[in-house]
Amino acid sequence: MTLAGAALLGLLILVAVLAPVLSPYDPRDSVGPSLQSPTFAHLLGTNDLGQDIFSQILWGARPSLLVGVGAAALAVSVGVAVGVGAGLRGGWADTIAMRVVDVFLALPVLPLLVLIAALVGANRTTLIVVIGLVRWPEVARLTRGQTLSLRHRGYVQASRGFGGGLGHVVRRHLLPALGPLIASGFVTVGAVAVLMEAGLAFLGLGDTTVVSWGLMLNRALLFPGLYYSALWTWWVLPAGFAISLAVLGFTFLSVSLEPRFNPAWQRSTS
Amino acid sequence: MVVHTDSMSNEASALVTPARPPVRRRSLRTLALPYLITIAVLITLNFFIPRAMPGDPISSMDDPTSSSYVGDEATRAELAGHYGLDRSLGQQYLDYLGDLARGDLGTSIRFGVPVSDLVGERLPWTLLLSLTSVAMATALGVTAGIHSGWSRGRPVDRGLLGLFLGVRNFPAFFLASIALFVFSVQLGWLPLAGATTPFAASDDPLSRLADIAHHLFLPATVMALQFAGFPYLVMRAGMVSELGSDYLVLGRAKGLSDRRLKYRYAARNALLPIVNLTGVQLGLAVSGVVIFVETVFAYPGLGRLLFEAVGFQDYPTLQGCFLVLALLVVGANFLVDVAVARLDPRTTA
Repeated sequence: MTLAGAALLGLLILVAVLAPVLSPYDPRDSVGPSLQSPTFAHLLGTNDLGQDIFSQILWGARPSLLVGVGAAALAVSVGVAVGVGAGLRGGWADTIAMRVVDVFLALPVLPLLVLIAALVGANRTTLIVVIGLVRWPEVARLTRGQTLSLRHRGYVQASRGFGGGLGHVVRRHLLPALGPLIASGFVTVGAVAVLMEAGLAFLGLGDTTVVSWGLMLNRALLFPGLYYSALWTWWVLPAGFAISLAVLGFTFLSVSLEPRFNPAWQRSTS
Repeated sequence: MVVHTDSMSNEASALVTPARPPVRRRSLRTLALPYLITIAVLITLNFFIPRAMPGDPISSMDDPTSSSYVGDEATRAELAGHYGLDRSLGQQYLDYLGDLARGDLGTSIRFGVPVSDLVGERLPWTLLLSLTSVAMATALGVTAGIHSGWSRGRPVDRGLLGLFLGVRNFPAFFLASIALFVFSVQLGWLPLAGATTPFAASDDPLSRLADIAHHLFLPATVMALQFAGFPYLVMRAGMVSELGSDYLVLGRAKGLSDRRLKYRYAARNALLPIVNLTGVQLGLAVSGVVIFVETVFAYPGLGRLLFEAVGFQDYPTLQGCFLVLALLVVGANFLVDVAVARLDPRTTA
């Protein structure tokens, strides 16, 4: 599971980085007759504008990976900061933080994303910020729980007893101990972020200047005669599978990390 | 929203006073408070997000280079007055709240009719689709979960586990497109789009109902597949933890049939968490997947309306859809909380 996940993500990163080298054409150029079925010149055929679909698939790895990793990084940083802070401080700071988390968790995520993306404009930075900001509460809740239990461990107490400041304790003891949890949170949010990026682009809320898998599907499904020829098989299937494989890579990693690091899981199985 | 309980102190007090631990009922009001805050946040977001952006509906009229430039000072002021933009932000917010209270969601730019009419027209279809699919998902997930947990580790279990975990990695719109291609286009078994056959020949209620069910089947199934994973996992875990219980050993010793032990005994005990889950799923369904599935199947619900509104930059409709979908989600979650509090006394203590 870990291996499969790492392999899929590795492939995704490789394709994203090497897209300019690997792809035979510029994905935005009209390089052939429109709606051509796959040939050696165009491995996955061309779309209605005569753009090479294979090249688009390769370039599409970029926004997917970028948004997935960016949003996950943001969600994890905010989540860990709030979770550790709330767990260590306790008292009213903790209460307020957890109330905010509750409210955030109750927000309907996708409609909110659609509204913001439609009104503010859906460039990649906006997407990363917004997805990151709706996803941090889960991370915060998990880290807070773990921090509460770590706080009373012998070595943390000892460190505080020897005069270690808060910053020192967090850096030297808490963050390393939370490491696995942070990693697991990162890949979990990553999977969701990839799905959301593709979903928003599919709804027509992508950055139209960037080639992305969701946008390819959006274009394909809006094409009137899509279902009445073999067109569907090389226009929709590859992009759909590309998204699914990217999500699967993150999911595999998160599933393989979970039993080891989720405290609830450990309790229920031991 | 998860209700936090201090289980440690509960257990402790139960040890000291085993007779009847005092139950402090969480009143409906305490339960509702976080939801009311959420609703207030949503309404406020709905008001401020558009206004936080540069420009407003009439800013182009101030710009001499713009094609919609209005040179006349008085006309500009009148237009600003018409849109309420000459008032302070606070006053606009109050106006907006007043409109909401009267059920006025503004007028659709694309369709030229009140947004509340549009939403009212589309809402029943979204509810029908969501409720049907969640019911299907629960039935499917529970049945498969019972089966899987009972034969844990065997090929059946592994196969089902892989299937239900795997299917969730496929984006809903991709699954929907595959289903549409295979069952509606290639096989021609099911309709391509919409919720009813337009200009249907027969008008009697029975054939109309059949027509609606016929259109509902495929979108509901695609959604159900996405949602069956949760109840499946919960049910499977429940069954696994029941395996080897004393009452099952006793039942087996008594000579009860495997079938009876599986469904009447173990499954029954593992079923409680499903109640909670089903409500949560309903919220999830309405807040996400339904938008994609309705879009692909051209199903005339709120999700499809949202998609159309995005395409036409019809902001009042967009905001109306957002608000109603959001309220549905919050409402579903609140009902779950209330139901769980009623069913499980531990959460109210």
